[in-house]
Amino acid sequence: MASKTPIVVVKDVCKTFKIPGRPPIHALRNVTNHVNKGEVLVVIGPSGSGKSTFLRALNGLEPVDSGSITIDDVELTAPKTDLNKLRQGVGMVFQHFNLFEHKTALENITMPQMVVLKRSKDEADEIGNKLLDRVGIGDRGDNYPSELSGGQQQRVAIARSLAMTPKVMLFDEATSALDPETVGGVLDLMKELAADGTTMVVVTHEMGFAREAGDRVTFMDEGEIVEDGTPNAVFDNPQHERTKLFLSQII
Amino acid sequence: MDWIVEVYNYRVVAQFIPEFTRGIAATIWISLLSLIMALIIGTFVAIMRLSANPVLWRIAAGYVQAIRSTPLLIQIYVIYFSIPALPLLDRRLDELEGGIIALGLNAGAYMSEIIRAGIESVSRGQVEGAQSVGMTYMQRMRYVVLPQAFANVVPPLLGQTSVLIKDSSLVSFIGVFELFGAGLVVLSDRLMPNEAFMTVAFCYLVIYWVMLMFSNFAQRRLGGARR
Repeated sequence: MASKTPIVVVKDVCKTFKIPGRPPIHALRNVTNHVNKGEVLVVIGPSGSGKSTFLRALNGLEPVDSGSITIDDVELTAPKTDLNKLRQGVGMVFQHFNLFEHKTALENITMPQMVVLKRSKDEADEIGNKLLDRVGIGDRGDNYPSELSGGQQQRVAIARSLAMTPKVMLFDEATSALDPETVGGVLDLMKELAADGTTMVVVTHEMGFAREAGDRVTFMDEGEIVEDGTPNAVFDNPQHERTKLFLSQII
Repeated sequence: MDWIVEVYNYRVVAQFIPEFTRGIAATIWISLLSLIMALIIGTFVAIMRLSANPVLWRIAAGYVQAIRSTPLLIQIYVIYFSIPALPLLDRRLDELEGGIIALGLNAGAYMSEIIRAGIESVSRGQVEGAQSVGMTYMQRMRYVVLPQAFANVVPPLLGQTSVLIKDSSLVSFIGVFELFGAGLVVLSDRLMPNEAFMTVAFCYLVIYWVMLMFSNFAQRRLGGARR
């Protein structure tokens, strides 16, 4: 269960996308949030609500205009912070997997360990094989991403992140690009990770997952956090009109 | 079979086997060294060209423009005759060095444009995947972007390499002995242009064919099982 130690602290973060010739898009407006150690925060909201931008800001893939983001006492938004070093401790799983196409499944997991963490090949292989078993595709280590199904690729991507022993795992619509029959398996794996006490921030459209695995649900719309609370509170007793509208459309 | 000897007297060619062998070896050696130089230059220039730093990308763009807009033969002459005049070298550049440097600089410019296209063909997601595990810029380039970039542009790189091999014949103009030079020997000794240059052409064909086999192997190694 989640402790009370915050590991991700987001304060007053703003982000505007400026496209020449068009009005600027306010992707994040004064977003303040936090994630405690072992907590599973699920971020929901309509498309364009800023939830993916919020998630990508958490490992610096999306630089923010103002405000501060702190990961495990390191301030990501400080100009001197070594983002590459910080990202070692923040795993990220993408909608389109972003596996290294020129590496096998096992190499996808071992290469970052050897390159970034300077682990030996033997050690990395051992961890890699263990993690492939853990995510349920221990027999596909020698396959290239193009030879795997979407669900299998996403499992490899999760294993790749886990190999870096991250302090927090970010999931950016991890099941949105999957075939319907493989979604359940990946969600089950994410639930297992949650049950193991992994700190997770999950952007998803899977309300079943949010209700079942989430410790807390944040609803975002137009770059703002509209509502935040336990899954039961947000889903069964939403306080804001926008939340009610969104939930009525999606469920 | 007499008519063949009329057009192409292979017995004469056989007498010049030592010259042709030395010529082939020199051509391969010159091409190989300038290819390595061109790939290194091409990679760095491509990365510079894609840099956000205006000084870096302007230098890279200027270099490519300068090479493209002047004939290779002039470049060979300029490198061979001008570099020794620079104060940073206290000795004369020999013909072979001058020729290899000129060929490498020339092919490097063309290769940089191909490699740049290769780097741009690697999707943003690949870079983000590498960023998400904490790789530095250099690590991302070395382990994720460049291997895929090269695998994607092996065919055009191959084409440019064949141009390089053929262009290497131009270094004979500054007195380097290579395959074309072997043909010139036959021509001047026996006044037999067919025997001289048909043999030379055939040898270039063989060199190209061997290179093709190497590159197929390289593409499979770099690209994974995608193809």
